[in-house]
Amino acid sequence: MRVVVAEDLYLLRDGMVRLLEAYGHTVVGTASTGPETLEALRTLKPDVSILDVRMPPTQSDEGLRAALAARSEMPGLPVLILSQHVEQLYARELLADGTGGVGYFLKESVFDADQFMDALERVAGGGTAMDPVVISKLLASGSSNRRLEALTEREHSVLGLMAEGLSNQAIAKRLFLGDSAISKYTTSLFGKLGITDDDSSNRRVLAVLAYLNRAG
Amino acid sequence: MRGLVKWAADAGTGFWRAAALTAVSMVVPAVWAAAVWLMIAWGSPWAATAPALWAVVATFLLARPICRTFRFFRRSWTGVVVPGGYREPVPAVQMSTGYWWNGSSYAKSRREAEKDQRLRMLWSDPATWRDLRFVWIAPFMVGIAAAVPLAGVACLVWGILDPGLVSILLAGVGLVAAVGAAPYAWRVIAPVTDRFLRGSPAMILADRVDELTAQRADTTVAQAAEISRIERDLHDGAQARLVGLGLSLATAEKLMENDPETARALLRDARAGAAASLSELRELVRGIRPAVLNERGLTDAVRAFALDSPLETTVSTDVQLSLDAPIESALYFGVAELLTNAAKHASATKATVLIARDSTSIAIEVEDDGKGGANEQNGGGLAGLRRRLAVFDGDLKITSPVGGPTRVRMSVPCE
Repeated sequence: MRVVVAEDLYLLRDGMVRLLEAYGHTVVGTASTGPETLEALRTLKPDVSILDVRMPPTQSDEGLRAALAARSEMPGLPVLILSQHVEQLYARELLADGTGGVGYFLKESVFDADQFMDALERVAGGGTAMDPVVISKLLASGSSNRRLEALTEREHSVLGLMAEGLSNQAIAKRLFLGDSAISKYTTSLFGKLGITDDDSSNRRVLAVLAYLNRAG
Repeated sequence: MRGLVKWAADAGTGFWRAAALTAVSMVVPAVWAAAVWLMIAWGSPWAATAPALWAVVATFLLARPICRTFRFFRRSWTGVVVPGGYREPVPAVQMSTGYWWNGSSYAKSRREAEKDQRLRMLWSDPATWRDLRFVWIAPFMVGIAAAVPLAGVACLVWGILDPGLVSILLAGVGLVAAVGAAPYAWRVIAPVTDRFLRGSPAMILADRVDELTAQRADTTVAQAAEISRIERDLHDGAQARLVGLGLSLATAEKLMENDPETARALLRDARAGAAASLSELRELVRGIRPAVLNERGLTDAVRAFALDSPLETTVSTDVQLSLDAPIESALYFGVAELLTNAAKHASATKATVLIARDSTSIAIEVEDDGKGGANEQNGGGLAGLRRRLAVFDGDLKITSPVGGPTRVRMSVPCE
């Protein structure tokens, strides 16, 4: 895959490039500031990009802004945000357009390189990949959404794993269930969340959105 | 018609207020008039010294209550608080010898010590001399003006009781004067108390210095505690983990050739250790200053906190804030504390956070639907919050009746 890496710390950027190349990907461009990132995304149109949230010149959320700006110009442009911390607020903003192709992870998730590459490929393929920390925060904060309350415990955990971005096969493996059982659960929870088959957007993304919008 | 009724009502309350003012400001002149009358009645020059002495003592003792009454009138009629600026006695303490020390002298019993202290304070407090000056000024500057409606009524009554050409004319003038002056006469209290009853600038300054000294001490202690907490957390947590990480890596390096399986397991452990120390560091940093606060400012940081809170929280604001970092931090942790309290102690399910600012201050109001009954004595957190806001001259208002809801308003002045 053609990848753009935006990270202001040289050591991290360098390490990331090496890791990506070790897994056989091509790093077509790097950036270390917000404007550079936006420029690289616009001109290079990579298969996927890995962005840091906090970057110069403002040391605020430059990376996130660049991602949102680029995605509003090129809907569905795959971006994976890597951050020192995860916030539901940022996750919501990323998912708000409902088109998929987004990921939001803690930086240390690259320690488990196999899983990280897996997530990166999911994002590149238009799926979502959310850090389990975000999802567990959502689960812990309870749900006030009536639709979500209708879910059974098993459907809840399936939705949680789906929100992390796992495929049906992966969920089946994680929960020690068969593939057919998982597809039964997903069908019923899509039904309960009011997500119909003919929705043009990614149904999995919509399910995650339902999760995130539980309070608002 | 309505204007007339309102005016009549004003005249009515004004009349009673004027009467009250006249009575209070004439107390000291009355005492002295009585003393002079006694002197004349007793005739002998030596006997006359006693009433004079009594009058002096009475003036001295009456000055403070009279001034307090004036302040009370001023507060309840016009809503303006004129600070007294009296010195507060320090509490008497018992020494190891069994004697009581009141700050300036020893006494055998607590009562004696406190009595001595009271007298000393009364004598040495500049406010005492200001009060004495005031009770001499008041009859002329307040008493005479406030007596106009009363005098008018007196003329009227005299005219009715003893009808004659002069007295009826006087009664008419009296009636006009009484009714005309009543709504206004009592208002003389405002400028006079402002000018003569306020604490002197030196006194206000001294109070302020005391307050700031106490705040500085508080802040210093709190900061030292915070720094030692951070040091401890780093030392016991992340730092120790990194040492362990280094050890694992060193061992793995050694084992790499002979026992690659164990080496691999050690490397896996090392990776887990690195992840764990990162998440510890993240928690630590979050406790110092959350990242969203740096990246997005107060409003979004509060929104982000609200999202993680177990309460269903709405955050509303219509302002773009650019505050100094310390104020931002204090307010953020204030909101965090209040929302945490609401969830933990008040068993609330919903909360609203309202952020507003005007030209002089920023205010954040947090309201929850919990069971109420929050106060600063029970929750050490609220007292701590007040101290943290006080550093910025901020204020905390808590309304929390038992049964709820609880509403807490933090405000900090800023330009």
